[in-house]
Amino acid sequence: MGVVLVSIVGYLIIGLQSGSVDWGRLLTSSVWDAPSGQFGALSMIFGTGVVAVIALTLAAPLGWAAAVAVHELAPPRWRGFLRAGTELLAVVPSIVYGLIGIAFLRPFVAELADVPGGDSLLAAGLVLAVMVLPTIVAVSTDALAGVPAGVREAAAACGLKRSEVIRDAVIPPARRAMGAAALLGLARALGETIAVFLVVGRADGRMLDGVGDLWNRLVRPGQTLTTKLNGPESILAGTAGDHWAALCALGLLLLAAVVAFTVIGQREVRAGQGGRPRRYRARSGGGGAPRWRRGRDRVTRGALTAAAVAPLVLVVAVGGVILTRGTAALDPGFWSSESVGASGGGIRDQLVGTGVLVLAAGLLAAPVGLALGLVIAEYARPAVARWLRSLTLMLGGVPSILLGLWGYWLFSTRLGWGKSWLAGAIVLAVLAVPPVAIAVAAAVVELPGERREAALANGLRRSQLVRSVVVPHALPGLLTGLLLGLARAAGETAPLLFTAAIFSGARGLPDGVVDAPVSALPTHIFTLAQDAGDAAAGDAVWGTALALTLIAGLLVLAATPARRRLEAR
Amino acid sequence: MTALAAEDLVLSCAGRVICGPLSFAVATGTTVGLSGPSGAGKSTILRALVGLLPPAIVAAGRRTVLGVEVGAAGVDLPALRSRAVLVGQTPVVFPASILANATFGVRHVVRASRAELRRRAEAALVEAGLWDEVADRLDAPASELSVGQRQRLCLARALALDPLVLLLDEPTSALDAAATATVEDAVAGLAGRRTVLIVSHHQPQLERLCTQVVTVAGTSPAERSV
Repeated sequence: MGVVLVSIVGYLIIGLQSGSVDWGRLLTSSVWDAPSGQFGALSMIFGTGVVAVIALTLAAPLGWAAAVAVHELAPPRWRGFLRAGTELLAVVPSIVYGLIGIAFLRPFVAELADVPGGDSLLAAGLVLAVMVLPTIVAVSTDALAGVPAGVREAAAACGLKRSEVIRDAVIPPARRAMGAAALLGLARALGETIAVFLVVGRADGRMLDGVGDLWNRLVRPGQTLTTKLNGPESILAGTAGDHWAALCALGLLLLAAVVAFTVIGQREVRAGQGGRPRRYRARSGGGGAPRWRRGRDRVTRGALTAAAVAPLVLVVAVGGVILTRGTAALDPGFWSSESVGASGGGIRDQLVGTGVLVLAAGLLAAPVGLALGLVIAEYARPAVARWLRSLTLMLGGVPSILLGLWGYWLFSTRLGWGKSWLAGAIVLAVLAVPPVAIAVAAAVVELPGERREAALANGLRRSQLVRSVVVPHALPGLLTGLLLGLARAAGETAPLLFTAAIFSGARGLPDGVVDAPVSALPTHIFTLAQDAGDAAAGDAVWGTALALTLIAGLLVLAATPARRRLEAR
Repeated sequence: MTALAAEDLVLSCAGRVICGPLSFAVATGTTVGLSGPSGAGKSTILRALVGLLPPAIVAAGRRTVLGVEVGAAGVDLPALRSRAVLVGQTPVVFPASILANATFGVRHVVRASRAELRRRAEAALVEAGLWDEVADRLDAPASELSVGQRQRLCLARALALDPLVLLLDEPTSALDAAATATVEDAVAGLAGRRTVLIVSHHQPQLERLCTQVVTVAGTSPAERSV
């Protein structure tokens, strides 16, 4: 797996050296003009920063408040339901979020700011806010769950009101890991490609002229690092020369930022789990007249309750839109008929293609993820295991667009496969391996020491111990990680655009490996959403979105019972 | 004058009775012990008195603390808990300084200047028998303290609220002989000024400290005087 990560960094560096990159110009100029050889990325860095800041400004406070409300205030029997509701937001593939952005956020921004179209940094930031919300809620909830129950009781036993217990006893030990939740959300926002691509407008060279210009910039088109890389230039540039080198420089900048935030975020989550805040804060205030305290308690709890409902409102809104617009998918003929050019038609070949890709990715990711997880938790020395775990987490954070370009460079170009289903499946497998490996490693660590001891006392060798005790114990984790990883892989668009998918002409199962493309559901949506002017295409694209969301949702749903059944054995 | 009382108190979990019916009354200013075998529900009774029962456990019967009927609708439980303070068996210190731990409750309940809060915390630390060991490092993290010191810090946190009633759950369970003696001295020093209910399975300790011991034994309670 380290090989893959090295290879991903490697192709970017080889790409850099295939041409000359003027780093000074790249980081300070906003003029990007390929024909005249001017490559300045400042406007893309600006755009990336702006959409990430918009997303976090909205999602971080809301996500924190929702996590606190769900974990600390909601009645226990509602807790699981509320949490699952928020997790549903993470099931929806990013291409579908892009579609929702096109349908609702673009018109919203157009009306709000009276600008044509509505493609804008603001629309991209709003889409991203919804997309990073589940990450922030999930990591924050885990942080709150890590605070021992005794802390709450001890604080309540001193006469603190509910909101005071939360503010002064529960949040301080959880604060560090909750901050890390925002960092992980930031990494997610920086690396997201496809949803942003569809609504950001992709206009180069737009920079800020002073503070007064800010609103004007927000509501007009811009460009981010990921959307630049996902554009046609990556194909047009060839895989050598100054143009390709400049694109690789963008990729490296993106990779460095995302990996840095992922690593810092994961480290902070771990550090915060000890329940120890970074520094001690001497506080004296917080008291007050009984009436004032009662009022403040009521207001705080009201605000938190509202925050807990917000993600549910989003789930209902997003789900409602997909369901009401996607009625085409209710017709069985839609699933079984061929697609028809720009007017959509059915999705038979796209279903087959996505099925082939996901199945092949699963067959590749399961053994590799199992092996990696076993090495981390069973075989490697502690120091090596720590490194491998960090590398795995880093790999899990690599933006999918960079994996797509890696597959394009390695398989499609270097190995001469052209567009190949196998190249796409390998890239999707790389996406699915980290969750599998982490889940397997976690399961192995939980293996009771007595069981291990009993097996060794019966004369088993190490390899026998692993085969008959460790691996069976890790299977539920393997399956859960695999299904969740594949649910994500099934909805990925950017990696397939460069490696495996074509819009039309791929019929049935692919034949061979070289020049054997497939059609896939997410890329089908991608193309229809951009090019189709036909009204029938509108029905087809939402129908496809519903089908894709259902498939991802079923994979996630399958993860829970599959795990339970295996664990009960 | 009765500070706290229970009448036919029954605690049950999922329909299974874990203790009771139990009736007792504690007069103001006295120190009363609650003894019984492990698992008899002693700690749970203390929690029932201040409305801190785990969600799975249901209490039936009347519980009256400082004239307030716990469990009735519309009772301001936080206000009651600041006057009848529970000190749990495992010493929970918050990730903050020793001083901040000592003022943790009082700074919410009383509107006072920083200096006044500090004075009350210091007095409480003296009363809990911890002052001599921490006087020179009040701003150090409380997590540096030993388990015995933490237990007394929790007692000080309760005393800083100047409560009328103290509910102590196994206050010396984690302590060695010397520290136990210090805590016992501190509790003995409270006699007359505060009402104290102590849970302990250490009979000699209860006999040293208490004027009366209530025995909780499964479902047949007995009461005896020392």
